[in-house]
Amino acid sequence: MSLPPDYSNEISALNREFLKAQPSDTLQFCANFFLRRLESQRAEFLLSQHHSSPQGRGMAESTFPGNNPFGTSPSGGFATGGMHRLEEEDENDNVASPTAATFAHRDMDRAPDTAPGESTFGNFGGFSNSIKSGAAPPTSIGAGAGQSFPSNYNLNRRTSVSAESLNPASSLNDNWTPPYHQKTADQQNRLKAAVSGNFLFSHLDDEQSQQVLGALQEKPIPTKGIKVIQQGDVGDYFYVVENGSFDIYVNKSGKLEAGPDGLGSKVGSVGPGGSFGELALMYNAPRAATVVSIEQSTLWALDRVTFRRILMDSAFQRRRMYEGFLEEVPLLNSLTPYERSKIADALETKKFPAGTTIIQEGDVGESFYILETGDAEVYKRGVDKAVKRYQKGDYFGELALLNDAPRAASVVSKTEVKVATLGKDGFQRLLGPVEGIMRRNDPSKAGALEDGDGVDPLAKGS
Amino acid sequence: MAAAVHKARELFHHGSHGDRKNSDGKKSLSKQESRDLEEEKHQLMEYEEMKRPLSPSQIHEDHGRKMVGHSSHVLRQEDFELVKTLGTGTFARVWLVRLKNTAKGDQNKVFALKILRKVDVIRLKQVEHVRNERNVLAGVAGHPFITTMVASFQDHDSLYMLLDYCPGGEVFSYLRRARRFNEPTSQFYAAEIVLILEFLHEKEGVAYRDLKPENILIDAEGHLKLVDFGFAKKVENRETYTLCGTPEYLAPEVIRNTGHGTAVDWWAFGILVYEFLVGQPPFWDQNPMKIYEQIVEGHVRYPSAMSSEARDLISGLCNVDTSKRLGNISGGAQRVKSHPWFGNIDWDALYNRRINGPIVPHLRGPADTRNFDEYEPEGSQREAYTREMAEKWDDYFKDF
Repeated sequence: MSLPPDYSNEISALNREFLKAQPSDTLQFCANFFLRRLESQRAEFLLSQHHSSPQGRGMAESTFPGNNPFGTSPSGGFATGGMHRLEEEDENDNVASPTAATFAHRDMDRAPDTAPGESTFGNFGGFSNSIKSGAAPPTSIGAGAGQSFPSNYNLNRRTSVSAESLNPASSLNDNWTPPYHQKTADQQNRLKAAVSGNFLFSHLDDEQSQQVLGALQEKPIPTKGIKVIQQGDVGDYFYVVENGSFDIYVNKSGKLEAGPDGLGSKVGSVGPGGSFGELALMYNAPRAATVVSIEQSTLWALDRVTFRRILMDSAFQRRRMYEGFLEEVPLLNSLTPYERSKIADALETKKFPAGTTIIQEGDVGESFYILETGDAEVYKRGVDKAVKRYQKGDYFGELALLNDAPRAASVVSKTEVKVATLGKDGFQRLLGPVEGIMRRNDPSKAGALEDGDGVDPLAKGS
Repeated sequence: MAAAVHKARELFHHGSHGDRKNSDGKKSLSKQESRDLEEEKHQLMEYEEMKRPLSPSQIHEDHGRKMVGHSSHVLRQEDFELVKTLGTGTFARVWLVRLKNTAKGDQNKVFALKILRKVDVIRLKQVEHVRNERNVLAGVAGHPFITTMVASFQDHDSLYMLLDYCPGGEVFSYLRRARRFNEPTSQFYAAEIVLILEFLHEKEGVAYRDLKPENILIDAEGHLKLVDFGFAKKVENRETYTLCGTPEYLAPEVIRNTGHGTAVDWWAFGILVYEFLVGQPPFWDQNPMKIYEQIVEGHVRYPSAMSSEARDLISGLCNVDTSKRLGNISGGAQRVKSHPWFGNIDWDALYNRRINGPIVPHLRGPADTRNFDEYEPEGSQREAYTREMAEKWDDYFKDF
């Protein structure tokens, strides 16, 4: 009779462990080994109980060989700890971050953010706000099935997401401009307020913001009972409520079903200034809820491709503009295109009102500037009039990248200006010392910059 | 062995690819094609013995001269027995396969065959991604920690990528079972990933864009293999804009659509190390929009039990500002490799697979599938790939 394979596996694992550890107390070692195996297998089994997916089966099957790195893990029996916590966590549905729940409050370096309060406009975090006002919160509102194993984290495989391919090269050719839909000043302000709490909009600059608000299209909802979005459907639009009101329903099955109860349970409602469906601005994901009009209403709608394209086009144009400017700076003309694009990526946009001293003669220089829009003038101590004028594409302060010498002149904005700027530390972080880059095309010059320090191997080689 | 490789290389690069299009598999092969097919099958049977890690520069410079990564004009699905599904996606299914009619002793010589249905690829607008995947995989074939695409081919309605089979299953499964990895285990896996990213970024100019434990397999010896290059793209020095990845692992610049490049992989790498050590990623919520809000804010909280080196590494990688992000700043991957958290890693020995992996999968043999989950059988409903579609789209698939 041959021994069952499970038995042989355990014994050979024990043999390996034994050889590795060479313990003095054989019996104790073996006893410990099997206890550890038992603990780990139980843990796997318990864990598998919390998997609804096909993973469950695989999880319960022991596949760890003897050199199991977890057997001796300092964190030890996660199963018991995890199971204990489970009960407490079922009542805690609004955990903001997984770590907040996995680790007790005192374990964290910073208190978890537990204040979900938002403005009346603020059901931007999806439907979560509305849900609180409704009946029992469904656990399946998120991307996957609700998981209550430590901290609600969904332990299943995660699905990749992707949006339509956006290609800036073609946008240069076909001269795309975002759609524009006329709005009154009042409407414009209301929309601005409505989206201000949403992080997707709060990062936009003024121009992008104008374009996005302009692209929102009015969508009349003629009567009550219209399903604007249906749970489980693909989503392409984000909506802001201009007037009227809507109820939000979630069916636990994850999608709208036929029949009188097909909507699922009502989890909240949304009125003027509210909004819904913002995940559609990221990629094409199934809708998490159904939204039904309660009366005749008006919505503003924005589609994903328009939104992302506005963002892409302005980012693309800005990068190309910066790269173009950087090519004109003699100090940096030996940068490779790759390096130039890294610097362009790191340039930070700043705005100054007219009459601002951007750099001050005599100060230690920290940053270099490119003038993006507006005019600026250069002044030197002891000279009444401006000695020079700067316009779009002009740059100044670039010597700060090289050394700590005081600024040779002051630069004052004449109009409101927009500049792109980068500090010496930022430059060096990305590309290393500027001296090295300068040496590439003019070794002798770089030598001179180092105060005549003659031991420059690169300079000698020229 | 060198001679065998040379022979294989010659074999794979003659013969015309011309009339492959629209071939439906029933067409009889010419004498030459039959000979090629027999030779190619023979090479596949020898593959296991001949495979060895190539150095980064060999992989990079030997394009078209490697025995792996070629487009085969003779292989067909019919040449393989589909043994078991290893994984499924929205438009692809990966099978464990072996060549049909193999000798008894060769039953263990198996591969993973990724089958993509052209109709679905087109419907889900993934044509460009699939082309990228095939071409990136062809380019990187031979790297010790990246799945090797041995060959690619196509028939009327499907695309095929023949990959080496990695019997250990996903790191994901081990991680979920163990809840979290200890530091030495995490360091080992993280270090192999660093070598992959260093190679992809600095040799190939490729951004991988979907790093996560689900896409990392463990091979028979306990080393990693990165799989699923569906979002990989040769970006070189240009930024790219298409949003793709996995919610918990998306970099802030992808969410904000300001243009992204290889730096997104370093961000995701930080998330991955965190997930190894903690058991779940740092940013999570049931509502995906809340995840993105947290990511853009970029505040990572660390459990107090985490070592200060690990924290320092993760905070360097998960920096919202790409001009400060470790891996993307001056020094590139080298800066990551010299981080104190990797103090115990002998990088050269690691690349050459001379260091033992922390988990060596328990296997009954090279064709064991116990480390993979069961999947539903394939649905029988299939949308047809029509002649009109073929006329419109087949040109996009000509690299296969």
